[in-house]
Amino acid sequence: MDSKDPAENLYSIEPALSSSSRRSNFSSRFKSFGGNSIREVNFSDLGPKPVKYGSRGAESETYSMSQKEINDEDARLVQINDPVKTNERFEFSGNSIRTGKYSILSFLPRNLFEQFHRVAYVYFLVIAVLNQLPQLAVFGRFASILPLAFVLLVTAVKDAYEDYRRHRADKIENNRLASVLVNHEFHQKKCKDIRVGEIIKIHANETIPCDMVLLSTSDPTGVAYVQTINLDGESNLKTRYAKQETLLKIPEKENVSALIKCEKPNRNIYGFQANMEVDGTQVSLGPSNIILRGCELKNTTWAVGVAVYAGRETKVMLNNSGAPSKRSRLETRMNLEIIFLSLFLTALCTVVSVCAAVWLRRHRDELDYLPFYRRKDFSEEEEENYNYYGWGLEIVFTFLMSVIVFQIMIPISLYISMELVRVGQAYFMIRDIQMYDEPSNSSFQCRALNINEDLGQIKYVFSDKTGTLTENKMEFQCASIWGIDYNGGKASSQDQKDGYFVQVDGKVLRPKTVVKTDSELLQLARSGKETKEGSHVHDFFLALAACNTIVPIIVDTPDPTLKLIDYQGESPDEQALVYAAAAYGFMLIERTSGHIVIDIQGERQRFNVLGLHEFDSDRKRMSVILGFPNKSVKVFVKGADTTMFSVIDRSLNTSIIQATEAHLHSYSSIGLRTLVIGMRELSTSEFEEWHSAFEAASTALMRRASLLRKVASNIERNLCILGASGIEDKLQQGVPEAIESLRAAGIKVWVLTGDKQETAISIGYSSKLLTSKMLQIIVNSNSKESCRKSLEDAIIMSKKLTTMSGTTNDTGRNSGASLTSVALIIDGTSLVYILDSELEEMLFELACNCSVVLCCRVAPLQKAGIVSLVKKRTSDMTLAIGDGANDVSMIQMADVGVGISGQEGMQAVMASDFAMGQFRFLVSLLLVHGHWNYQRMGYMILYNFYRNAVFVLVLFWYVLFTCFTLSTAINEWSSVLYSVIYTSVPTIVVGILDKDLNRTTLLKYPQLYGAGHREECYNKTLFWITMIDTVWQSAVIFFIPLLAYWGSSVDASSIGDLWTLAVVILVNLHLAMDVIRWNWITHAAIWGSIIATFICVIIIDAIPSLVGYWAIFQIARTGLFWLCLLAIIVTALIPRFAVKVLYQFYTPCDVQIAREAEKIQAQSESAASEIEMNPIFDHPRR
Amino acid sequence: MSSNTPSSSAGGVGSADSAAPRRNSKRPKYSKFTQQELPACKPILTPRWVISAFMLVSIVFIPIGVVSLFASRDVVEIVDRYETACVPENFRNDKVSFIQSPSTNKSCTRRLTVPKRMKQPIYVYYQLDNFYQNHRRYVKSRSDSQLKDNSSWDDISSCKPEDDANGLPIVPCGLIAWSLFNDTYNFSLNNQQLVVNKRGISWKSDRDSKFGSDVFPRNFQNGSLIGGKSLDPTVRLSEQEDLIVWMRTAALPTFRKLYGKIERDLQPNEVIHVTLENNYNTYSFNGKKRLVLSTTSWLGGKNDFLGIAYLTVGGLCFFLALSFTVVYLVKPRRLGDPSYLSWNRNPGGH
Repeated sequence: MDSKDPAENLYSIEPALSSSSRRSNFSSRFKSFGGNSIREVNFSDLGPKPVKYGSRGAESETYSMSQKEINDEDARLVQINDPVKTNERFEFSGNSIRTGKYSILSFLPRNLFEQFHRVAYVYFLVIAVLNQLPQLAVFGRFASILPLAFVLLVTAVKDAYEDYRRHRADKIENNRLASVLVNHEFHQKKCKDIRVGEIIKIHANETIPCDMVLLSTSDPTGVAYVQTINLDGESNLKTRYAKQETLLKIPEKENVSALIKCEKPNRNIYGFQANMEVDGTQVSLGPSNIILRGCELKNTTWAVGVAVYAGRETKVMLNNSGAPSKRSRLETRMNLEIIFLSLFLTALCTVVSVCAAVWLRRHRDELDYLPFYRRKDFSEEEEENYNYYGWGLEIVFTFLMSVIVFQIMIPISLYISMELVRVGQAYFMIRDIQMYDEPSNSSFQCRALNINEDLGQIKYVFSDKTGTLTENKMEFQCASIWGIDYNGGKASSQDQKDGYFVQVDGKVLRPKTVVKTDSELLQLARSGKETKEGSHVHDFFLALAACNTIVPIIVDTPDPTLKLIDYQGESPDEQALVYAAAAYGFMLIERTSGHIVIDIQGERQRFNVLGLHEFDSDRKRMSVILGFPNKSVKVFVKGADTTMFSVIDRSLNTSIIQATEAHLHSYSSIGLRTLVIGMRELSTSEFEEWHSAFEAASTALMRRASLLRKVASNIERNLCILGASGIEDKLQQGVPEAIESLRAAGIKVWVLTGDKQETAISIGYSSKLLTSKMLQIIVNSNSKESCRKSLEDAIIMSKKLTTMSGTTNDTGRNSGASLTSVALIIDGTSLVYILDSELEEMLFELACNCSVVLCCRVAPLQKAGIVSLVKKRTSDMTLAIGDGANDVSMIQMADVGVGISGQEGMQAVMASDFAMGQFRFLVSLLLVHGHWNYQRMGYMILYNFYRNAVFVLVLFWYVLFTCFTLSTAINEWSSVLYSVIYTSVPTIVVGILDKDLNRTTLLKYPQLYGAGHREECYNKTLFWITMIDTVWQSAVIFFIPLLAYWGSSVDASSIGDLWTLAVVILVNLHLAMDVIRWNWITHAAIWGSIIATFICVIIIDAIPSLVGYWAIFQIARTGLFWLCLLAIIVTALIPRFAVKVLYQFYTPCDVQIAREAEKIQAQSESAASEIEMNPIFDHPRR
Repeated sequence: MSSNTPSSSAGGVGSADSAAPRRNSKRPKYSKFTQQELPACKPILTPRWVISAFMLVSIVFIPIGVVSLFASRDVVEIVDRYETACVPENFRNDKVSFIQSPSTNKSCTRRLTVPKRMKQPIYVYYQLDNFYQNHRRYVKSRSDSQLKDNSSWDDISSCKPEDDANGLPIVPCGLIAWSLFNDTYNFSLNNQQLVVNKRGISWKSDRDSKFGSDVFPRNFQNGSLIGGKSLDPTVRLSEQEDLIVWMRTAALPTFRKLYGKIERDLQPNEVIHVTLENNYNTYSFNGKKRLVLSTTSWLGGKNDFLGIAYLTVGGLCFFLALSFTVVYLVKPRRLGDPSYLSWNRNPGGH
């Protein structure tokens, strides 16, 4: 992501124009980072292309530049309607798909191979294999493999089930029917039998079975509409075209034979490059001529196409890849502790082997005859050493054996528990009713399963503005026409509540969305173009209605006399403008590639669309050339003010231009998105000139896009200004409150937007990001030097302020409202000079002093650059939230990426780790779920370290009393089951269900989120305290029975059972002591585990072939056993309990106080006993 | 939940969902469980709770400690260490050759004086020190299937290095059986034989289920190196109680094994004459041998440790309870006082 395209670093974002095509423009670049080698594709061409000159084909400049011709070796040749010939030379894949990973035969090896990608499992395996060597056999064969086998089996069953479901889905998919042309007739054929080259007919609402090039459609101009929701999640209709050359051919009647030469299958769903040779002419094909598998045909009766990619070579299948996996911070930190533990393990093993070495050395002369060693085997003729390989080797073996015995020091089960706990936590996050968005019917999505706990430690939030803070539901607010400002402020009369409508054949046609109108402007619009003002208004709205790529779709309503007209398009801004035009009586009724029909004040007019220049990010404007019924030709242009004023003829109407500029400024300062509209009448010669140039450019095989751009720039000049429009993008519900909470929680909120500075600042005010008390530092620079200077000044100023207010910012508690806080506002141009240069450091320093940072006019890559600027320099966690394709880069760059499933498609969601419907859910997600998850996971990791270490240490102490020979008193089955059955369930249950504080408390005091920032739940100190506690507890467990039974007739199995039960009960009670919330599940898990342990021990001791037969019954009959158990539990827990009490009482953390407050509040609510409260109030405060 | 590749077919289903307007809302179902609002008890450590807990522990532990200590003190124990005393003076420098020589006289007489009245049953133990019955090589060297069942008499794979002798499997095989303790004790009181009951000294469960009644010793102690006691080949294993006791390997290197029971009371100052056969070789590893006569209490043998431990812990808890009370009275903190919250304290005032 370091590669920076200089072109992009120019502020390439304009607020209003065709935002999604602009956005997707960038996402394609990021897609291509995914390891495939597709060239960059500019897919602003995705949009509808109602161009008359049918072979206006492709498309991307970069494409045509980087790849002039499709080389034969890179191409795939498709003979239309001749699958046999098509497939004879190349083995193209058939259309059957297989998303299932395994077959019955390959399941076992492949699944095992994948599972052993985890280091933890490899460790397990190595230990189990070591144990199989006869010299090292510590555990029985079966017992040693059991845990690994168990884990592998569970995972394999899960995988198998998932795969089975995939296979079943594949089968359904493969057996769907499609009409395929065979011998001049369309036959139903199973989907999986479709071959490349076959001609397929699709009917309305059918899903397209493979990637195919359109040949003809029911529409005479060859338009087909598709919904690509399965591909990119965008629900609006996209337009696709059949080529004129193939349009009239009817495959049933005549032999269609043509050759398509297209690129090799790739995963770029927005790019397609091909040539078609039909009837001797070469036609180029682009992404607008192909319909992709998984799309649905809409609003088109039928479409005929030829299959070019099938089965696994279709773009949708090639795009089947999972979300990138991230690793949580806690887990990374934990790995450090795991290293400590492995050092500790090595130390234990070293102690054992050194002691064993010394013992063997000292007794080397006795070994032959020692009754409990007896090195010599006398049964053979020659007296041989039995199982003794010399002093050195024995030491090595002892070391390895001790690794086997102490293996669970490295808590392998922790990884599995963590995964289960995260699944559980994700379940609760998804099920959280507070994070369900009713309007968009979207619940919370957890796409990444391994960073739940990072949500509790976020320090920086980078937010997109459009669609994230705002709703991205554009509403036309006001217009400036010919220098006169019409804003809807003047009360619009109530009678037009239903808005504008037209009547066609006795039926009422009405726009789907009602726009509030300005009555004065409405009057003017109705007055026709007699007056001068009226004609300007007429032109203005005509431009709004015509200059766009919106497709009107007529929707039936239950009322037969009423039909709604729905404007489908990719840009919400354009939709808003067209709806506005309709409200003022300029209703777009029909759009085909050749003409548009506009109902102007009840009178239908048909305009020929002679040409259309799409929006692109360099020009930042689009234009349409309309042929009027009176044969005159006009070009209408709309675009961002920065680029529009440069093409407007300044000599004309200077006062109007000035007035419009003033209006634009006032619009953007109240947070509106602005567009400037201009037009020009073309003379016949001018038109002819443009026409030939346009035709030449659009049929050019090379550099087509740049040629087209040149043509566009030639015609878009000397414009006459018509006016400007202001579109409001409403703030989402709850955004100001959410931002306030986040900031109170100590999270720094940075807003990165493509909008203009004024718009960004006004949104900043309305979302309470900026307050009037704040000092704003604005950095707008045009060179590196001026950047440096303004940054230096800004740093000095911010420092002065922060020191003046007498507080230090570095405490992180910037919640005190009294101190003057600084807001930094910086624009994309300055960032061009700052990012990736030495100025980054200064910007970071400055930004650290500021409580708010607002970056405007930033390009997508710059967004990612800013995120990485912070990520590189601090260890703090970053979160990026956005909704559009332009946020993908920063979502992927940040530690946690959150996607808003909003208006702009699903690309952000697909790239994100978590997805939700509204910005305000971020508060719930971080402050509530993040806090809980962090606290739970932190505790769980510590507890698992402790749990396994206690057990290992008990084994270790015993080894010291067995001549260092690694025999264990604890039954081998109990050692195996310890982390599987005896102690695993409670920690998982607590990790999923325990909560330290209520949701209401956490939301009421956002500052409690600081617990995660301060790493209160998992840090080095806690780790070492836990480890010291572990040593103490293990010593108590081991030595109390040892001393109590010293010199008695107790046998190893009996005392082993005592140790087993003592460890398990202690470890579970230790957990019980730290549980904050006891509900029935927690009770069941903890007490159930203890009972299960007793049952298991009893079962193991009831097997006569084991050494410990009946031991538990013998020892449990004695009082000594129970007294030992009681003494162990109490003695072991006293230090922890006492320290915990002291700590909680004298240095209480915020969470602790809040918990007490919660409890006291609940008590006082239930009892309502104020009398009892009084004595407490009497206490002195300190 | 899987973040895996959404297959295109699954996508198809998804689109059908969104096409159906609002029919299948994704709204999560409300339940107390899914909203994590199950009724729960939230104990917090209030001073009252903490002090009561400590007091409770001390109230429970101190009496238990006292009772255990008394129980331990009530046990009368006679311990006689004899491994050196039973070697004639001239062999003291070379005890190993004394014990290994078949010709030396191993008999030895000991006098034990009863210090206090001992109520029956009086248990007779032998105690070995420095004998690692829990050594890995040792504990593994046995064949449970062979002990249990006559038909698997040749299942000796786990018994090395004492698996067969003269080419024939040993029953019972293995180091444990081979090293069976073979000192014998004869007690007489006032020149009268003191009967030692050697029945019922092993676990009934072992006699019933671990040692078969159709298994007889075979080829036992026939190898070149004799480890210990020989077994009567006509007595079934389930009745060889010394073997059964011995084969329940001890947990710790210092251990006692039950030798038998004296089923009569002994009066103070009575003198017991013990005639013992000092056969067992502990000299090669400096092991100690003791003969122990002990009564028993409800708590087992004589061991003050547990009583002392209970008293210590109980006392400690009492002390903690007191000190916490004092501390709470001197420096109280109101629970849930918001003025202690970090953002309410003065910055720098912490």
